[in-house]
Amino acid sequence: MLWHFGLFESSISVSSPSVCCPFCGLLCDDLEVSREGEGVRLERPACPRASRLFSIPDPGQAMIAGLPISLDEACRSAAIILSGSHRPLIGGLGCDVTGHRAALSLAEKLGGVVDHMHGRAQFRNVRAFQDGGWVTTTLSEVRNRADLIVLAGTDASRYPRFFERCLAPASQFGELTRKVVVLGGPALSIPVMEGVSVSSIPIDAGRLGELFAVMRARLAGIPTRAADVAGVPIGQIEALLADMRAARYGVLVWNAVELDFPQADLTIQSAVNLVKDLNQATRWSGLPLGGDDGGTSAAQTCTWQTGYPLRTAYEIAGPRYEPLLFDSDRLLKTGEVDALVWISAFDPERTPPAADCPTVVLGRADMRFARAPDVFIPVAVPGVQHAGFLHRMDAVVALPLTAPAPSSLPSVAQVLAIIQRETNHAAA
Amino acid sequence: MLRLKNGRIYDPAHGVDGVVRDLYIEDGRIVAAPGPDARIDRDIDLAGRVVMGGAIDLHTHIGGGKLNIARALLPEDHRQDPVPTSGGMHAGCGHAAPSTWTTGYRYAEMGYTACFEPAMQPTNARHTHLEMGDIPMVDKGAYAMLGSDDFFLRMLASGADQRLINDYVGWTLDASQAMAIKVVNPGGISAFKFNARSLDLDEAHPYYRVTPRQVVQALARAVHDLGVAHPLHVHASNLGVPGNADTTLATMAAAEGLPIHLTHIQFHSYGTEGERKFSSEAERIADALNRMSNVSADVGQVLFGQTVTVSGDSMKQYGNHRHASPDKWVVMDIECDAGCGVVPFKYRDKNFVNALQWAIGLELFLRVNDPWRIFLTTDHPNGAPFTSYPHLIRLLMDKRFRDSKLDEINAEAAAHSQLRSLDREYSLYEIAIMTRAAPARSLGLTDRGHLGEGAAADIVVYCDDADREAMFAKPEYVFKDGQLIVRDGQVVNVVNGALHVVKPEYDKGIEKPLKDYFDRYMTVRMEHVRVSDDEICTCGASKLIPHVCKGRAA
Repeated sequence: MLWHFGLFESSISVSSPSVCCPFCGLLCDDLEVSREGEGVRLERPACPRASRLFSIPDPGQAMIAGLPISLDEACRSAAIILSGSHRPLIGGLGCDVTGHRAALSLAEKLGGVVDHMHGRAQFRNVRAFQDGGWVTTTLSEVRNRADLIVLAGTDASRYPRFFERCLAPASQFGELTRKVVVLGGPALSIPVMEGVSVSSIPIDAGRLGELFAVMRARLAGIPTRAADVAGVPIGQIEALLADMRAARYGVLVWNAVELDFPQADLTIQSAVNLVKDLNQATRWSGLPLGGDDGGTSAAQTCTWQTGYPLRTAYEIAGPRYEPLLFDSDRLLKTGEVDALVWISAFDPERTPPAADCPTVVLGRADMRFARAPDVFIPVAVPGVQHAGFLHRMDAVVALPLTAPAPSSLPSVAQVLAIIQRETNHAAA
Repeated sequence: MLRLKNGRIYDPAHGVDGVVRDLYIEDGRIVAAPGPDARIDRDIDLAGRVVMGGAIDLHTHIGGGKLNIARALLPEDHRQDPVPTSGGMHAGCGHAAPSTWTTGYRYAEMGYTACFEPAMQPTNARHTHLEMGDIPMVDKGAYAMLGSDDFFLRMLASGADQRLINDYVGWTLDASQAMAIKVVNPGGISAFKFNARSLDLDEAHPYYRVTPRQVVQALARAVHDLGVAHPLHVHASNLGVPGNADTTLATMAAAEGLPIHLTHIQFHSYGTEGERKFSSEAERIADALNRMSNVSADVGQVLFGQTVTVSGDSMKQYGNHRHASPDKWVVMDIECDAGCGVVPFKYRDKNFVNALQWAIGLELFLRVNDPWRIFLTTDHPNGAPFTSYPHLIRLLMDKRFRDSKLDEINAEAAAHSQLRSLDREYSLYEIAIMTRAAPARSLGLTDRGHLGEGAAADIVVYCDDADREAMFAKPEYVFKDGQLIVRDGQVVNVVNGALHVVKPEYDKGIEKPLKDYFDRYMTVRMEHVRVSDDEICTCGASKLIPHVCKGRAA
């Protein structure tokens, strides 16, 4: 018997009736749940994503090549695959901090590479950050201070409770008259909120960089002769810039996942440089949305343990950070990795990418596959079936996850620890 | 039982100054000399060796959100110092913003056995404990930052009773699992969010209309009344600003006799004399320290080379961003709680200002008479990475070496400084005070920082090398709680450290207004900001060491 849950059981006692939702980077911690059979039912408040992901109907079944097998055998089989690998990719990383610690430990032992399932979007931010830095803020600051919120290339609808939680009318500094400006598509998805006016400026997300560049030029006192920039009339740009300069606390919001075009990191860089420039006279901050599927925790944990925010390989001389080379899709396509461990404990739809190498999946019990992986190990869902820690999108707030519906399934950390131990036997 | 024979003991807590004596260790503790029949399991002959307690760093930025920002920002710095996996030790990186693992190994390899992170933001406490949980080898603790958080400023502005403030400070220590309270640019981090770019000690906050002086006084009083051993840890207003020595002296006086600790005081000892309007006020600051026994300080020595400055002082870090080298910087406003700023920096010995900063720090060390009240820090990594401590110790102990370095710096700065006229050389006994006995006393660590009976067996053995840098860089032996962890400057046994926290008494009734505040205005619940005792080991510490506080009647 390989399972010794007592050894791993994390005891986190939180004296709160509300639970934290781990299913997007907002980490709303005001959910109330009740037991319903083996699972939980959300009482209030919730969003469609939370409602979908909090229910886990399937008890789960470990499989090798699509055929049922015991968990022990599945772990042994995974260990044999990994022991024979020269450079595995430990990817996905959809789990909590305890899982990330175990994933890094396994990668270190195996000489593996780590990347998150949203690594491509994460790196758009990281690249801009590592090149010039930025000025950013956190959710409670937005809620209390922001009087002008510019949404660049996003309507924030991937975070359904963003407006309710971050632009609620109550500010501790008195009544705020807030303006929301959407740069991009129409602002139809944005809820009607008291004291908040919403407008939009149509612009292709791929051309936001041009807009920000010309705004920076105008801030620097450089005249423009163009009648429009990126399709936006110069008069409208001037008016927006005047509003931005007049803001007491402005927030520029973007979501790197939605800036999905070549060199989007340069668009982000132009956005954060605009924020820097605006700070010469008033206060502005950036707010990068993101952090889904444990992405913020994965990057934070890897950063404190290695110095680098993922896309890092454990090599003989030490951790090696090659964010362009160590892109999961690229590594799998070029065959530079010869095994894949895919971790996805939050969302059954986040299945592994196509890979020609042996694949071990640690996934939610209700995960379904077009092509069965070599090994599938169902794991408990952090924040529903096991306790843990998770970071919010702003990386400042790490919250305790509880287990409102404890499960007999092992956590990601438990499975990885067993696989790591088994690789000793497999190698011996 | 382990016997360390014939070592020359430096144990200032007991007035022992280089006396040759045996030490006996059992079950992780130093014990009295047993009778002749006692069974000695292991004997180590330390004839000619110098023996001290484990060193304690009471101000080093080793973990927390802003450190991780610094790490993520500087891959080019890490690449100069990769650390491979070896034995039971994890891979990572070293130098300016080292990985957590490497931080623990390298501190231990210099003979440090406890480190205190001085700037934990309460809303970032859980993250900080997770990070510190992955720092092996040393015991840890953290100071909770208050003074720019809106709940506190609201209380102060509304004229709340000091007892209520004490309860809030007590709650914060408890909820964030902290060892002390730190205030950073009092009120200034908040003022920056209202677009103020400076806030002097008696200047009204642009929104709350309270002054930094009031913030310092209320917090110093609260820390004192709660009976927290370490006094209010003050990062004063106007960090790095020429002429800030006046603010620093006024801040000392503002404590009105209550204990306070002024941190990285080197960055607060500047005048405006000379052609460049930048001069040393080390003498005036040191004189005040010598006079005021309620004030202690750590230096925040600058040493030359690449580093990164990390601070909760978002206001001043924003102001410093034009000095960033390499040219990139991060400023963050944080959760109506505080803020931070991360600015990479390269101190150059030929640069007038940097060279004078170096000399000012050394002047402060040499001019403050009482080593019990001045602590050896570089404000890691702000003045220099902690790995430069052995070099700093040599500068303090060896005047010829110091003068030779003085010859290398910017000549104008050297001429402006009175450093050459200072002949003082620190003794081993004084080094043992400022790196062991004094920080332990200041923090209330009764069984650390000394070698008396009953003390935890955190013991360091050095070869008595005339080159003090070589001596302090590689101890021959380091014992942590009685276990040998370092031999000849190399980790031989990986252990995990405990977390020191204080547990003050306070009225839990404060949770009622606090919960109401969180529910109304914050995006997290008060209950979830609180880090429970149970979480500490899950975060990674070997155990929680609670220190009881004896409240002093208000």
